[in-house]
Amino acid sequence: MPGVAQIFGQIVLYALFFVPLAYITHSPTHQYLPDDMAVLKIAIRHAGKIIGECTPLTGAEYDKLAANMKRPELCPRERSPLKLTLLLDGEALYRDTIPASGLHRDGVSSMYQRFVLPAGPHHLQLFMNDDASAEGNTWELDQNIELLPTQVMVAQFREGFVLQ
Amino acid sequence: MKTLLKKGFNQLDNLFSLAFTPQWNPMYQLGALSFFYFWVVAATGVYLFIFFETSISGAHTSLEQITHGQWYIGGVMRSFHRYASAAMGICMTLHMLREFALDRYSGVRWFSWVSGIPLLWLLFASAIGGYWLVWDIQAQYIAQLTAQWFDWLPIMVDPMAGNFLNESALSDRFFSLLVFLHIGIPLTLLLGMFIHIKRITGARNNPARGLAAGTLGAMLVVSLWQPALSQAPANLDVAVTEVGLDWIFLNPYTLIDSWGPGQTWALLVGLSTALTLLPWLPSRREKPTPVAVVDPDNCNGCGWCLADCPYDAVTMKEHDYKKGHQQSVVNPDLCISCGICAGACPSSSPFRHVDELTTGISIPGFHIKDLLTLTEKKLHALKGSNRIMVYGCDHGSVVDKLTSDSVATISMPCTALVPPAFIDYVLRKELAEGVMISGCCEGDCYYRLGNTWMDQRFSNERMPPLRTRVPREKIRVRWLGEQGTGQLVREVAEFQTELAAGAPLPIEEVS
Repeated sequence: MPGVAQIFGQIVLYALFFVPLAYITHSPTHQYLPDDMAVLKIAIRHAGKIIGECTPLTGAEYDKLAANMKRPELCPRERSPLKLTLLLDGEALYRDTIPASGLHRDGVSSMYQRFVLPAGPHHLQLFMNDDASAEGNTWELDQNIELLPTQVMVAQFREGFVLQ
Repeated sequence: MKTLLKKGFNQLDNLFSLAFTPQWNPMYQLGALSFFYFWVVAATGVYLFIFFETSISGAHTSLEQITHGQWYIGGVMRSFHRYASAAMGICMTLHMLREFALDRYSGVRWFSWVSGIPLLWLLFASAIGGYWLVWDIQAQYIAQLTAQWFDWLPIMVDPMAGNFLNESALSDRFFSLLVFLHIGIPLTLLLGMFIHIKRITGARNNPARGLAAGTLGAMLVVSLWQPALSQAPANLDVAVTEVGLDWIFLNPYTLIDSWGPGQTWALLVGLSTALTLLPWLPSRREKPTPVAVVDPDNCNGCGWCLADCPYDAVTMKEHDYKKGHQQSVVNPDLCISCGICAGACPSSSPFRHVDELTTGISIPGFHIKDLLTLTEKKLHALKGSNRIMVYGCDHGSVVDKLTSDSVATISMPCTALVPPAFIDYVLRKELAEGVMISGCCEGDCYYRLGNTWMDQRFSNERMPPLRTRVPREKIRVRWLGEQGTGQLVREVAEFQTELAAGAPLPIEEVS
């Protein structure tokens, strides 16, 4: 049987282990963002236009195709990358080209970016080109926004830019 | 760094042994405690799962109900769930650091070391998944930074962060996935824990009962005093500003936040890779001695070496030429060259009527025949009175410091290499008046089980036993470790004084 001194020692050592443990499982707090900032998130998931035109198959080319693969014309699969630009108060916050996904670059283009911005009024401009054959931007958004402290604003693309 | 760590752990070992006794010393049972905490987390997790709702609106609310509505059981269960997982994290980390500091990670031990590294990842993943399920602002913080962290990897086609854009983007199915992960990852962790101890004979995966009871009691007190609570419910439409964090499991998130995901991946993967390669990095440690060798002529197939090998390196097979007999076989990949098998071999008796002492199994670097020659040579050279033979181990108290004209010392890889018949022989032949056995701290043998086996051989609980005719008062067994060298010096002097007095001496406790 342990003596009184040993039991006291055990209590002290248990306390030295569990008390700091209980404390550091929730404290001290971490200041992730300042209270006067807001967050702007941009998440685009969009398939660019297909690059190139469909071309009709000649008779010989058509005959070469397997029975289950026969079709009158050959269409390219590769999609245009998205060229995206975000301007805030006239300054470029983001500018990038987002390739289509997939081995053949025939999938959707996806991107996500998050910006921490000071709360208050801002001028937001979004430009996107989703067609490699077109010059300039094919989609635009130009809007004045008012960001509240700790507000999360989301810009998405649903056949046009949408702010939430 | 290793030396400093070792000194620190030695101090802690002593402190905890004083309060808990060596049998309950938590520093010697960090792995077993980790297993114990896992079971506590699992049991309390099952209870919490019964009342937990896997939906966006139900997750936080149901946990609040568990915590406050049934604080006396649900709240305590939740606190146990949190504090036991945190304690497991600390015990596993200390276990790893201690094995590193005490040089127990290379050679044959590489498997346990390497298989332990993924366990840390799995534990962190399990704990983070648990915090995520609470769906409070801490969970929101975790969700956003985890998504940011994983999205950095080129394998992600659709950004994971897209699932946490705002409240409307979140789906209940996500919580079903989280619950699945929070059950699946800990089960993988458990599987990994069993693999981790697979190569170890009689691995200790249960702590001493008193220690287990004490730790449960302490957790109950802390759970009532500081119950685990949720923070404000998550709201993806509002940015997280100030958040309370679990600094044990969530500290990598502050790195993702400040360094960025790429550097955090580099640090954590780099650190894990370095730890994994550690057993093969050059070091100043001595090269291992050759592995144990079986002599079929002297092996009678008793299997005592098999029973005593701490690393499962010995198996039995049909004897090479004695029909109907068995003989031992040593797996060189698992043999750690401790010599415990030689101490267990019944052929290792100096009383055998043979011209030259041979044995059924021994390590070439420290053959039983050499041990006998050395013992006799050193004892014959003693001139003083109250002669003592001290057998010590290379990892415990430094016995060389005890050498004098009346004290002979021999250090070997593990003291369990000394067959009990040697002690009988030394005293019966009156080569010395007393024998002292020393080694690593009790319950903390460098070769895991050496001092446990010795104690059991001396108390006739294990073969080969120390014969009952051997006067126990002429034997001292002291498991004091390297840090107990000073104490051992004093105790040898006291032993000599007692032998000189010739007074009836107390029977030595061997445990």
